[in-house]
Amino acid sequence: MNILISGGCKNGKSGFAQRLAVKLSPDGKRYYVATMIPYDDEDRKRIALHIADRAELGFGTLETGRDIATVIEKGGRNATYLVDSVTALLLNEMFPDMHSGAADQNAAKRCANGLLKIAKEAKNAVFVTDYIYSDAARYDEFTESYRSSLAYIDRVLAAECDKVIELCAGNVSFIKGGINL
Amino acid sequence: MDLIIGGAYQGKLDYAKRKYGLEEDGIFTCSENSDISFDRRCINSIQEFTLHCVREGLDATEIFRARKNKWENSILICEDIFCGVVPLGADIRAWREMTGRLCAYLSSEANSVTRIFCGLEQKLK
Repeated sequence: MNILISGGCKNGKSGFAQRLAVKLSPDGKRYYVATMIPYDDEDRKRIALHIADRAELGFGTLETGRDIATVIEKGGRNATYLVDSVTALLLNEMFPDMHSGAADQNAAKRCANGLLKIAKEAKNAVFVTDYIYSDAARYDEFTESYRSSLAYIDRVLAAECDKVIELCAGNVSFIKGGINL
Repeated sequence: MDLIIGGAYQGKLDYAKRKYGLEEDGIFTCSENSDISFDRRCINSIQEFTLHCVREGLDATEIFRARKNKWENSILICEDIFCGVVPLGADIRAWREMTGRLCAYLSSEANSVTRIFCGLEQKLK
């Protein structure tokens, strides 16, 4: 079973995704694939809190900010993977050097292929992404290329996944795959 | 008229091409720099036309209302630009409002309203 979870920021996607991943793997191995790469102490503290939040849910943690498909080598096929988040993964792959600002235009394709590999090979996968497409703003070229790249990955995953779910203020809309969880 | 809405890069036009068998010559794509044309079966990027209207002091909903016979069997596509914080720039605020009012009018007139989300269709009406 593969599930894509999208929605605006701070709408409860991560917590919902964690509960879902637990439900999908009552007896099996489950991994939280953390894609955010910490850049300072504030990031590290937040990550430590997140690890504490998950502690009782039985997740192993795979910190994987790039080359996402390598999680399968680390955790094996017979496991459930929660990838949180596609958004951070693309950021790391697209802007490998945060200071130079140079964008890797092949990043979207690479991320999509890696995530598809997880979807096809792992027992279960839950992907968390962010819906950043419905505001009234004219962005610079870099931001637009990031938005279109993330949307491309979302669309590839939505086509592959069994279920696509949108969260809004903790409420669930089932966009694909029916309402049974 | 069938209305298709959704955020940026969600696959609205791809969906319309698939669903209605549209070719490029059946699609008019709006621009913020020019007037709209109702002569083709599908009008895409209506949010660009509303931006044009804001800059030129025109009322997009009135223009659509006056030419209803031209689009009542058309496929209309507009980007959903309604979910961000209130924009700081007055012209962008006016753009969002004009686009929202037009979409509400078009939704009320539409035979069907479809939202495209990650390439998937969601029937709203």
